[in-house]
Amino acid sequence: MKRFLLIRGAELIALLVLAAIPLFITNPFALGLLTLLAIYGILLIGLDVTVGYLGQVNLAQAAFLGIGAYTSGLLVMSGGWGILPSLAVAFLICLALGALLALPALRLEGPQFALATLSFGALAVTVLNEWEDLTLGAQGLSVNRPALFGHALDAAWFYWLCIALLALVWMGMRNLLSSQWGRAFEALRDSPIATDAMGVGTYRHKVIAFAFGSALGGLAGGLYTFNFQYLQPQSFTYELMVILLLGVVLGGRKSLWGAVVGAAFIVLLPNLLSNPTLFRVFSIIGLLIALLGVVQGLKDKSAFKFQTLAPVIAMAMLVVGSFTVEHTEDWRKAIFALMLFSVVVGLPEGLMGFAGKLLTRLFRVPGAPLPPASNLDDVLPMQNADGSTLLELKDLKRHFGGVRAVDGVSMQVKAGTVHGLIGPNGSGKSTAVNVISGLYTPTSGQLLLDGKELPYGSLYQVAGAGVSRTFQNLQLFGELSALDNVMVALRDTYKMPWPLVLLGLSRIEEHKAQADALALLQLVGLDAQARTRAKDLTYGTQRFLEIARALARKPRLLILDEPAAGLAHPDAHQLVEIIRRIHGRGISIVLIEHHMDVVTALCNTVTVLDGGQVIAEGPAEEVKRNPKVVEAYLGAAA
Amino acid sequence: MDNSILLQICVSGAFMGLVYALVAYGFQLTYATSKSINFGQGELVMVSAFCSLTLLDLGVPYWLMVPGGLVIGALLGLVVERAAVRLALEQKSEGWILLSIIVGLFGFSLAENIWGRDDRPFPTPIPGDSFNFLGVDITWLEISVAVGVFGIMGLVELFKRRTLLGKAFEAVSADRDAAELMGISATQTVMLSYGLSGMVAALAGILISPITTVGPTMAMVLVLKAFSVAVVAGLNSGFGVVLVGLVLGSLEGLASIYFGSGWREAPGLILLIMALALRPNGIFGQATIRKV
Amino acid sequence: MLKVENLYAGYGGAEVLNGVNLEVKQGTLVALIGANGAGKTTTMRAISGMIRPSKGKVTLEGSEVESYSASRIARLGLAHSPEGRKVFGPLSVEDNLLLGAYRRLPRFFGFHSAAQEELDKVYALFPRLKERRTQHAGTLSGGEQQMLAIGRALMAQPKVMLLDEPSMGLAPVIVQEVFAIIRRLKEAGITLLLVEQFAKSALEVADYAYVMERGKIAVEGVPAELQKDERVIAAYLG
Repeated sequence: MKRFLLIRGAELIALLVLAAIPLFITNPFALGLLTLLAIYGILLIGLDVTVGYLGQVNLAQAAFLGIGAYTSGLLVMSGGWGILPSLAVAFLICLALGALLALPALRLEGPQFALATLSFGALAVTVLNEWEDLTLGAQGLSVNRPALFGHALDAAWFYWLCIALLALVWMGMRNLLSSQWGRAFEALRDSPIATDAMGVGTYRHKVIAFAFGSALGGLAGGLYTFNFQYLQPQSFTYELMVILLLGVVLGGRKSLWGAVVGAAFIVLLPNLLSNPTLFRVFSIIGLLIALLGVVQGLKDKSAFKFQTLAPVIAMAMLVVGSFTVEHTEDWRKAIFALMLFSVVVGLPEGLMGFAGKLLTRLFRVPGAPLPPASNLDDVLPMQNADGSTLLELKDLKRHFGGVRAVDGVSMQVKAGTVHGLIGPNGSGKSTAVNVISGLYTPTSGQLLLDGKELPYGSLYQVAGAGVSRTFQNLQLFGELSALDNVMVALRDTYKMPWPLVLLGLSRIEEHKAQADALALLQLVGLDAQARTRAKDLTYGTQRFLEIARALARKPRLLILDEPAAGLAHPDAHQLVEIIRRIHGRGISIVLIEHHMDVVTALCNTVTVLDGGQVIAEGPAEEVKRNPKVVEAYLGAAA
Repeated sequence: MDNSILLQICVSGAFMGLVYALVAYGFQLTYATSKSINFGQGELVMVSAFCSLTLLDLGVPYWLMVPGGLVIGALLGLVVERAAVRLALEQKSEGWILLSIIVGLFGFSLAENIWGRDDRPFPTPIPGDSFNFLGVDITWLEISVAVGVFGIMGLVELFKRRTLLGKAFEAVSADRDAAELMGISATQTVMLSYGLSGMVAALAGILISPITTVGPTMAMVLVLKAFSVAVVAGLNSGFGVVLVGLVLGSLEGLASIYFGSGWREAPGLILLIMALALRPNGIFGQATIRKV
Repeated sequence: MLKVENLYAGYGGAEVLNGVNLEVKQGTLVALIGANGAGKTTTMRAISGMIRPSKGKVTLEGSEVESYSASRIARLGLAHSPEGRKVFGPLSVEDNLLLGAYRRLPRFFGFHSAAQEELDKVYALFPRLKERRTQHAGTLSGGEQQMLAIGRALMAQPKVMLLDEPSMGLAPVIVQEVFAIIRRLKEAGITLLLVEQFAKSALEVADYAYVMERGKIAVEGVPAELQKDERVIAAYLG
């Protein structure tokens, strides 16, 4: 309880203060601003899902606000619906539309995604404008605020409704973020390839997250309708979108608090602009903060770089403007631009990102104690190692342009064996493994697992089929703890549908997942460092962590891509021990390795590749003496 | 509806489509070297059109104004590169999308306050009357658009193929690191691409201004369609943009006839979302290979 | 000609090089060998400016270049034929070669005739490239791409040439061909730093060699000595 209060205390206090305000202040203007704060808070939390957690620029949130607003407005006016059902429908419609947009758009990243959302936003405004039979177009739509349970909503009650919904959204987001979902978001920003390879469908998570964020936009839209009671398509254009982005970035991405701080800023912005004195003071403060950055930069000699000076230039322009321009309202867009520019360049983490760092330095909240590790036999049950053919490659080819990286490889991996794959650099080992694990589609040939064809060219599907891998160049989720890295990949553990996750019911699963993940960390000797961030681990232990993570997939076949590369001697020794343990559980292993001593110590069979083709196969000792192998490895001494 | 009227609408639309293609071509130029595009390109078109108009007002003759306008466009492109794209790269952030939007917004506000919010006519020596070609009326202005679009795209392509600097441009697009090892400065090449892209956009502004008039919002719709064309064709599709531009222009003409002029924007946006669903790398684009 | 002193470099905070020292004298072929992950390629990348060293000095012809960009170092006359060849796939073979000479050619027109002499030399060395001069480089076979990468580096008339794993991914016959070419480059008096995984072949052509282990030079000497050195034999030839 004490821990809970420590973490949630600030949230509870803020909620109580916000809820108590109408009891003391009856000024309709102030109450209007606070109501708007709650509405924009919901909207920005939704926007932050894509902009913050998915790390993509989303230019469609203003459109979802509009769609939600018109949906609930029309339901109330034409259908005579009540306030809560119309809000629910606005939420659901935007959920569906968001999914529809995300399905194609999220197959791409960066600029194309931003463009798709921008186009969607423009299309939505066009439709709202032109579908005059329904929306009355540019003429605008007046909406009455219906009663709630027969109780007329005055300003204070409507405000309480908004605050209650904000609190609900906040809790839902918090539950989502502290579940497997939050981990997946973090993981897919660190390494989308590894996220897919660990069977966490990157794409599926992104689509659902985007749809959920859009749905929050729709919910905010419904509240927006009942707040203003008048709608016009022009309200939901590009300019509003820029302001919303300003809010999220200024408040701080990936932060619930940041969204609300940003919302407060957006709400106060028009008042700021209409009062010259206030505006001047504000811009001077901004300039001083920017100058502070330069002073800070003097220490590490970055003070006179363009990136340090840029915010100062922008803020100085704002100050000059605040004293010379008469009608600030005319320059509204330039002012937004200057402020947003300074924040994006000078304070990329936003206000809460900055404050968050300070607070974590001041208050250390110890992590909740971990459960005891599960029994390894439950996490990784023994598999049959009967020596039947598990993986079969039939004349596999993969060409890149004229380069035949893999050129007709056929081999069989027997169940319960450690199968070495060796060859000089560039002989096609890594490409072969990348084709098997689904990163590349084969140019031709067949891949069979247990006699069934493996899915081609999809890491996610291959991971689902029971093949798991590590990466030659580590692909850990650097920002996540060692424990979380393993938990992300756990197979058959997270079954809860996401609506229940929003309610916070995932905590039960979470406990079991932690115990299972700990058992795997124990297997590779990392249980003592479960809470350490992956990127803070030493290089050797990072390699072991990748193995533990791959095991969390409970694979039939484990592919280890040069696990000993760059390992010091004691670490390499431990690696051999770990692989023996894994082998002991009946898991079949394909081992790519350069260190012959490791290969000799572990492998039942070794396949040697050179120039994309198999040049030898057999037990390690035999292969090592093969003249072709000797020549390929040592170079043809002409 | 009468077939000849439909044909007329398609042809007129196609000429507009060429302008979309030209702006989209500008996106390809910068995408090739830096995997980035200017989200404020519409504002760049508009500001350079206003500057060109000012040049005309100052008494500069039309044919001198054109190169002047192109230089202004190129300079604006460089500003965007420095203040948005390179700045974001220096911070190792993905913020260039946001920053280029911001720079555009600033330009928009500047234009509003310097030149006013009203649309103004753009004088041109090219006659506005039309001639009949195979039963379709074509105006000389439309011809000037086609000549300008193909002229500058041809020149840029010649530059890329016939000069060493142009080949260096292609080399940076193909493999930035390897190009650096040849002594080609990637930073300067990206600057070059933004300069060229700004120049191309400025020409688009000069070409359409006599048809659409000049105003702060003149290019908002234009650039939205150029985005669609670029994404539908693929950001690395070369001349694919021309084809897609022509088709989109015609489709728009048809949409405004059948559904009303307000629906003009719809085909481009719908086409874009459909193209993303069916061919995420564009109709003429190539997929990239992921590496680990 | 090229001197590296106490070089530290790495990726994303993790140091791969821990104080590398080496020297390449004018007109010699120096080989850099070592196990996978020892830091050979990283050394090359740090010398040519593809990654910025965190500490240490790189001197090219007397001038300190460790803080320069890769393109600036290349313009000073260091040609680096990188690991994995990295030819410009969409460009023609001839364009690839012309770009190799970028540092010496006029930027706009007349560059073709200015490069003709060097181009003829490279075509004489690699007749196969001449046959395929108009073909896209990406459609060449791996061996041909390696020839192209070497030819491209030669076009610069470099003061020092870095060759990173020229034999990587090539069939044994072609590897022999590559080494024959390296021998000819050496005879032509080109200063070379060669990274190779085939220690034996590399030691046969080199004038001097360094052996890397865990980001440091472990052994150095003339090939005849190294071939007898127990540690080297144990690591590679055993």
